[in-house]
Amino acid sequence: MRFLPVLVSLATLASAGLTAQVAPAAAPETAKPAAPATQKIRTVKLKMRDGLRFEPPRFEAKPGEALVIEIENGDTTDLTHNFVLLRPGTRETVITSALALAEKGPAQEFIPASSDILVHSQVLAPDGAAKITLTVPGEPGIYPYVCTFPGHGMIMYGALYAGVTLPPLDKDPNIPPTAAQTTVAGAGKRPFAQRIFMPEAGPAAIAVALAGSQNVCWDAGQCRLRYAWQGGFIDASANWAGNGLVLPVVPTKPWWRAPKDDFPLRFGSADAAAPTPKFLGYAATPSGPIFRYRAGETEVFEQVIPAAGRPGIAVRLQIPRAKGPVFYRAANDENSKWSSSVGTWNGGVLTLTPAQAADVTLTLTSALCTP
Amino acid sequence: MNPLALSRPLMSAALIATALLSAAPALVAAEALPAAGARVAEFYSIGKLATPAGVDPQIGGLALMPDGRMVAAFHHGEVAFYDFKKSSWKIFAEGLHEPLGVLPGKDGSLLVMQRPELTRLRDTDGDGVADSYETVFDDFGMTGNYHEFAFGPVRGPDGKLFVALNLASAGDTIRPEIRGEWSPIGLARDRFYAGDWKKYATEAGRMYGRVKWRGCVVELDETTGASSLYATGFRSPDGMFFDSAGNFYVNDNQGDWRGTSPVHIVKRGGFYGHPASLVWRPDWDGSEPLKQPVERLNALRTLPAINIPYAIYGNSPTQMVTIPQTAAWGPFGGQMIVGEMNSGRVLRLLPEQVDGVWQGACVNFVDSPALRGGIHRLVFAGDTLYLGRTHLIWAGGEGIGTVKLTKTPFEALNLHATPKGFRFEFTAPLDVSAADPMRWAGQRYFYKYHEPYGSPQMDLTPVTPSKVTLSGDGHIADVEFAELKPGYIYDFDLAGLASVAGDTVLNPRIAYTLNRVPRVPAK
Repeated sequence: MRFLPVLVSLATLASAGLTAQVAPAAAPETAKPAAPATQKIRTVKLKMRDGLRFEPPRFEAKPGEALVIEIENGDTTDLTHNFVLLRPGTRETVITSALALAEKGPAQEFIPASSDILVHSQVLAPDGAAKITLTVPGEPGIYPYVCTFPGHGMIMYGALYAGVTLPPLDKDPNIPPTAAQTTVAGAGKRPFAQRIFMPEAGPAAIAVALAGSQNVCWDAGQCRLRYAWQGGFIDASANWAGNGLVLPVVPTKPWWRAPKDDFPLRFGSADAAAPTPKFLGYAATPSGPIFRYRAGETEVFEQVIPAAGRPGIAVRLQIPRAKGPVFYRAANDENSKWSSSVGTWNGGVLTLTPAQAADVTLTLTSALCTP
Repeated sequence: MNPLALSRPLMSAALIATALLSAAPALVAAEALPAAGARVAEFYSIGKLATPAGVDPQIGGLALMPDGRMVAAFHHGEVAFYDFKKSSWKIFAEGLHEPLGVLPGKDGSLLVMQRPELTRLRDTDGDGVADSYETVFDDFGMTGNYHEFAFGPVRGPDGKLFVALNLASAGDTIRPEIRGEWSPIGLARDRFYAGDWKKYATEAGRMYGRVKWRGCVVELDETTGASSLYATGFRSPDGMFFDSAGNFYVNDNQGDWRGTSPVHIVKRGGFYGHPASLVWRPDWDGSEPLKQPVERLNALRTLPAINIPYAIYGNSPTQMVTIPQTAAWGPFGGQMIVGEMNSGRVLRLLPEQVDGVWQGACVNFVDSPALRGGIHRLVFAGDTLYLGRTHLIWAGGEGIGTVKLTKTPFEALNLHATPKGFRFEFTAPLDVSAADPMRWAGQRYFYKYHEPYGSPQMDLTPVTPSKVTLSGDGHIADVEFAELKPGYIYDFDLAGLASVAGDTVLNPRIAYTLNRVPRVPAK
């Protein structure tokens, strides 16, 4: 991958009259020369990808923040692209003006004369790269970026959120509808299981999107449910765009977290030592993954499913060959309540006979979520 | 293809012109094809195979199934089969964690190495999609550090499987929750959580392996998943390979304790140079490997069979495979090749055993910008070599490239050590001018075994043969030197040679790692 390490400051480009056009009205905010080169400026990497996509499809910045945007055309289908950052709400107008350039387009890099354009790159051939240094406008807003190459702009755009809270990815009207599919693991498919590093879990974690709107983190290293959240599934784009260092984003706050270091199953007596779990894999079924593990010597099947018609999730446990009573530690907390299809509860511990343990569904509901 | 898209050369030319006229800095990397690439096109046809729509086109694993389909594992966790007859992909599995290797199982299943485990994928209901994701082996440590990649599996001649586990990088610390046993040897664990990681990073070791079997090659039983430590001393062993004689090759990436990227022949119990994993050797004395004198570590290690000189031949070697012995691959059939991440290049590896010691040469095989770089996984199917690319955050590429040999180039086909020098074999007869020793000028050097990252070329010395003898048919040249120094890489530039037909060598640089000077001539 070739990269020209040319730092092009907005001021340079503006004076060259070539690639950075700064609207006069916006000059006080946008045309400020970026911070001196010696000062560390945050870098945002932006890649043009196959399928007319910017990756990431959106990013955040502080109003007035100095930024370096490193743009790379990683499109392997031999398409050329540019990057054009616009004033809020002007994407469609600018695309239309760019199209109207017609045969004059190529010579102008498909950049129409418009005060709505804050900054732009040249057209980048595949593997071409550009660096743009800019100061984000001081006025909070959602600044669209787009490729104005004819035919691209209706699909290929994204949004710089300056001082504005990000909506959930799959409900963001400022990014292409397909963007949620390209950054949300499983592309919106439910149920879906994605093994990936997850926050607040061991390194062998599995994120599961349940049918409906619930999601859980299931820890394959510890063979137990770790937390549940309602809403969009994980945004893995930063993790996947890197080397695994950046964790995926869980878009909403978990409404339930398992107690720390407490494997829930006990065999023989309620206060027996926690058995050592050993993960054995899972079956991918139309209703989602069914995890299989050994707890000590006992084989367990576990599936997390939506709580039918109730606000929460359900854990279906199948322990086909329990030798004695089985205990499941599931204490209620301030917002969450456990119940079960069979068995008897005793202060946050469910007691099951071997026959009951062969198929039991525990339901966890919460005041913090909706059915 | 968008009909409005301009062709690439046209666009580049237009942009260069714009840049010149305006005297503004050019924002576009020109797409000029270097002369070398144009020349490669005389001998190899280079193309690409489209990857499945909607799937990130970075390849972690590529293999051929017994039924002739090709299987690929992708960066986001998909596994898909390519049916050559239908020219179509079918997604078989998804949601895996950074799969970096696939291998057909013995029973129709598919083995995939993910970051956290070796998994057996099986389609039990016959709908063509995996429904069983069975954990075969996960009894190794993970700290959650980004650099803990897991490679393999490869199958040995006795059916055993082998996987290799990367070390963690001091580019980051460990995560609060880890999996597996923590070795107490080295920087205290609480320091990893002290907050100011940069302060402690150097004490951890540039690469560290504090959880079970990091930096090791592990042997597995495919059926039971039973595992045992096989060899230590690795850093980032992306390529593992068994040749038809059962020799086990593992390569590694230049870095700390890796003056340049090595190719090792690995044996049970061996130590291959990077000390971090010594803490997992059952006979290790409990001392901190990083604080041992280099002499002690040097005495313990097995030398690389082949050193791939950094930046000259390669930066980051990947999968190794053998070229099929078919007419399509001409004289190269049976030779081993290896991919390279940082440039569009595949190299040939020419190992040989001399008095019980492994050594040999590397030489570029196909070296063209058209290959794009990031050549991570390689598989031959029919007459075509398929190249699966990746990059993550590093130099590399995407998608699947294809290479076919269309005409045999004039190349050094093989290189052997002899008691007095080297025997070169060529793909075509040499012109008599090759008898002039001045046309065989080269240099010798070695790379230092030490903790710092990489190594300069040490004791770099020009060498010129004392005598060159050509065989009667002109295919072989015996090149003798007045002095031969074991422990050095002999790096030749054959650009001054010509064939009888007047061709120059397509890939003139060839480097031989001389661990031992043979007592008797090669056969």
